Amino acid sequence: MAVMDELEQILYRVRRLPAELEPFREMLLANLVMIGEIPAPTFGEKRRIAFLQQRFTECGLQNCSTDELGNGVAILPGSEGERAILVTAHADTPFPAGVDHTFMVSHGVVRGPGVADDSLGLAVLATLPTLLEGLGITLASDLILMGATRSLEQGNQEGLRFFLANSKRPLYAGISLEGASLGRLHFRSVASLGSVISCHVDRRYSQLSAVDVINQVVNRLHALVLPSQSHTALVLGSISGGSSYKVPARNAQLKFQLRSDSDQVLVDLVEQVDAILDDMGQQSGVSAHMEVIARTRSGGLDSNHPLVVRTRRVMSALDIQPWDTIYSPVISGYVEQEVPAVCIGLTNADNVNYPDESVEIDPILTGVAQLIGILLTIDGGCRAEH
Amino acid sequence: MLNIDNWLQSNTFHHGQFWDLLRLIREKERRGLTISLCIPTLNEEKTIGKEVVLFKSELMDRYALLDEIAVIDSGSTDRTLEVAASFGADVYNSADILPSMGFKRGKGENLWKAIYQLRGDIIVYVDADIKNIHPRFVYGLVAPLIYRPEIRYVKAFYDRPLALSDKIRPSGGGRVTEILVRPLFSLFFPELTAIIQPLSGEYAVRREILERLSFPVGYGVETSHLIDVYSDYGLEAFAQTDLDQRIHRHQETQDLGKMAFGIMRAFFKRLKARGIVSDLPELTCNLRQFLAQENRYQQVIHEIYEEERPPMIEVPEYRRKFGLEDQGH
Repeated sequence: MAVMDELEQILYRVRRLPAELEPFREMLLANLVMIGEIPAPTFGEKRRIAFLQQRFTECGLQNCSTDELGNGVAILPGSEGERAILVTAHADTPFPAGVDHTFMVSHGVVRGPGVADDSLGLAVLATLPTLLEGLGITLASDLILMGATRSLEQGNQEGLRFFLANSKRPLYAGISLEGASLGRLHFRSVASLGSVISCHVDRRYSQLSAVDVINQVVNRLHALVLPSQSHTALVLGSISGGSSYKVPARNAQLKFQLRSDSDQVLVDLVEQVDAILDDMGQQSGVSAHMEVIARTRSGGLDSNHPLVVRTRRVMSALDIQPWDTIYSPVISGYVEQEVPAVCIGLTNADNVNYPDESVEIDPILTGVAQLIGILLTIDGGCRAEH
Repeated sequence: MLNIDNWLQSNTFHHGQFWDLLRLIREKERRGLTISLCIPTLNEEKTIGKEVVLFKSELMDRYALLDEIAVIDSGSTDRTLEVAASFGADVYNSADILPSMGFKRGKGENLWKAIYQLRGDIIVYVDADIKNIHPRFVYGLVAPLIYRPEIRYVKAFYDRPLALSDKIRPSGGGRVTEILVRPLFSLFFPELTAIIQPLSGEYAVRREILERLSFPVGYGVETSHLIDVYSDYGLEAFAQTDLDQRIHRHQETQDLGKMAFGIMRAFFKRLKARGIVSDLPELTCNLRQFLAQENRYQQVIHEIYEEERPPMIEVPEYRRKFGLEDQGH
């Protein structure tokens, strides 16, 4: 009963948080612009992490440092410090450094490449210590704040995985921040495999086009039997090859993803894909091989886990409608280390991963209130009642 | 004559020298200075929001370097003022300031009226059309005034001067600077050629200097300031700060022609006033440009008056507002 009373008191405060956060809106937006205008392609996040570190240092956080993979980490000490909660956002964006990263702030919208994915998450991370101080909130738990590197595509969440695997400190819970979209509540991951199949045709032995070989591979992949009870799916992502319309292609590539609720189903399917490639190699002069560029494990929290339940309560208190989907590859890293984690969104966004990507300003404070609300509700412990 | 090399060494800075904002603020407080930012605008809704957000957050809320941020507008027809106000700037219509003095359209008018409207001991002017705006555009300009009392006027430039570069390469301003202003300065005020970008719209100035300057309301305001301050205080009154890159709108050549015309009118007026040239004819206000349509050419006449506002210290309302009624000019 006492626990419920305490939760209700927290939720009462949470409902007022968006208004209490209003004076900090410009600070958040300024961090968003300054972070977002620093290009940060995957494997090229160093300058953006340096800015984040500067902000952490200015806030007087402890242990401001970067690890071997370039993750920017700092600790906001709690009053008791028995538990540690990790709050993280990925520093990389899908945009090359050469793209114009100029942001525009207009009435109600911030526009620029990567603003939602995930400059906003990083900006909230950079501002969070100031917000908590300004709101007069001191958590009992230590907060570990981390800008994670190498998250997207071939980065394969390396930064987060590295930190989770090597953290000396047991983590009580993890919260991953994504700029888009408000209502995101991910707490499970599916097993997935992102791969590149490369085909090569040796001209000394064959005049076959590598495009034909890739076409054969695609047909064989489509013929795979995907067990429907485990929500297994094949995604053909991109295809490339050849150098001219005039000559048969010597090389061709196919990028694809397999995903499933079941790790075992995925293992079985990968064996079948290997067999397909072996068959391709039986043709004279043809070689085909597969390189794994991203892999996630299935697992995560049950819907009745206290972290999920409390996050839903906070979202409800703020009138945030949770999405139907509960899966995100971000959760996989936590699953591997058995750290309870959720991934939440911060505002509404448009044209995500296009150069004219934009986020709505007004809902951001609700998104931040959501984060602070979750921290408040789990600060006293959320495993005890499980 | 030329102490250009010495001046370049001692009075040319890079914004990176002033990264320590806490130290800068301590020095500002120790000297009891107040600083106002003026952003003159005319239809800048696309860039003004970011500019206000960054300056207010970084240089008022996080580091208390600025005491006020004001947008002074020449009559925008877009949502410039609405956007600026929504992010916390003080917004003013230029026409509403000193209404007894009337209203003239032009950037110089906004800069001049800012002296009356704003309260800072230092006023820093930053254009509103900068795409890559950053706090350095303000702290890089006010820092020399805070640390060095003898410096009165700090200009921005956006390239490294030859004297500081690791590698020698051409360094300079835009097209109007290189084909008009620098040649004119070379002929008549050689020391002023040391100012890398005399036409840059970003500068910080002490109030006691600003209130004594007359202001062309249009294109000639930056050039006339340099000549007037130089004539009264010498090159030593100036400093300049490298703010790295500035990304802004590209101007068409025809528009640069209008700018050059306005600058030359203000320039020749000053030559005449100083007795450097005496027999100038009455200068026309008509700039003639031509449009081609197939084989026909059409003359277009632009009337560019380049009126000047008097030194603010001569305006009675200003003297009343700042308690100068009992003092001589």
